[in-house]
Amino acid sequence: MAVEKITEAGRARYWLGDMETDYIYTLGRAGEKFFRGLKEGKIVATRCRKCNLTYLPPRIYCEHCFSELDEWVELLDEGYIEAFTVLTVDADGNKLDPPEVIAFIAFDGVTGGLIHRIGEASPDEVYPGMMVKAVWKPPEERVGSINDIKYWKPAIE
Amino acid sequence: MKISKYPGTPLKEADIREKRVLTTFWRPKARYAWSAGVAITRFLEELKNGRLIGRKCSKCGRILVPPRMYCELCFKPTDEWVYVRDAGRVATYSISYLSADAKRLKEPIIVAVIDLDDTPPNVGILHKIGEVSKEDLPAWMRGEKFGVRVKAVWKPPEERVGSINDIKYWKPIEV
Ligand SMILES: [Zn+2]
Ligand SMILES: [Zn+2]
Repeated sequence: MAVEKITEAGRARYWLGDMETDYIYTLGRAGEKFFRGLKEGKIVATRCRKCNLTYLPPRIYCEHCFSELDEWVELLDEGYIEAFTVLTVDADGNKLDPPEVIAFIAFDGVTGGLIHRIGEASPDEVYPGMMVKAVWKPPEERVGSINDIKYWKPAIE
Repeated sequence: MKISKYPGTPLKEADIREKRVLTTFWRPKARYAWSAGVAITRFLEELKNGRLIGRKCSKCGRILVPPRMYCELCFKPTDEWVYVRDAGRVATYSISYLSADAKRLKEPIIVAVIDLDDTPPNVGILHKIGEVSKEDLPAWMRGEKFGVRVKAVWKPPEERVGSINDIKYWKPIEV
């Protein structure tokens, strides 16, 4: 009693569907201020005076002493690559040509950092510790998103 | 400390809609292809040919339409393909003022389970009833149409694609 099998792929029928599983993520108090800062071309962080720590992305509470943070500081848009990876496929699995470099960018005297794209440098030119500088979109194109920074380019040391 | 000491930041839908707060929007590409399987693939191919096909179980003798490769009563694979006639009776029906995607309809649609002449009761297929005149609709509304005889109305061959909608609807016929 063998069950029939479809051996020609073209004969198999199927229904295509699209699951619209949208989500809208709100940024919270600190995130709101951080992204509004990006729109103005600024990178802002919060400071805990007690622990002498500067948080990026900014947080509302200090992770060490639990005090509420209301001191805001503006950082220079220059940092260094702490770690990086080379992407050959995008988030949906499509091939990226040329490949893209994604880095964790750290800042002197700052706890945390930003994950962002590296531009104007090929993957084999990038190294940990490399100094980088933000390349911003023009003000009229900025919307309050991490992509208001186009990418980070090598900075002259 | 009480949770009420940490009130959070309440947001209304309008705050998001009217962009009073910044948001990140994301739509994952969650595409899928749902396979019809062996039995339904053949069923759909035959619909394109303008025919209804079922599977017969030799143990209980039932013809299953839409076909299944397994008899759920006998716990065994079904045995053969059989063509069945595109005529039957209305086993049960419902009058709907909502379309399949929940839009309001001015003119109602009649959705019915049809017991085919060649299949035993309680096998029936789900489809639409058409060509019901305005004069006849009240009788349908009163629930007087159970058991009424119906026949499939097919799309012309060049419009058929191998879908259950290759049958436009089933129309009531005089006995
Ligand atoms: Zn602290
Ligand atoms: Zn059986």
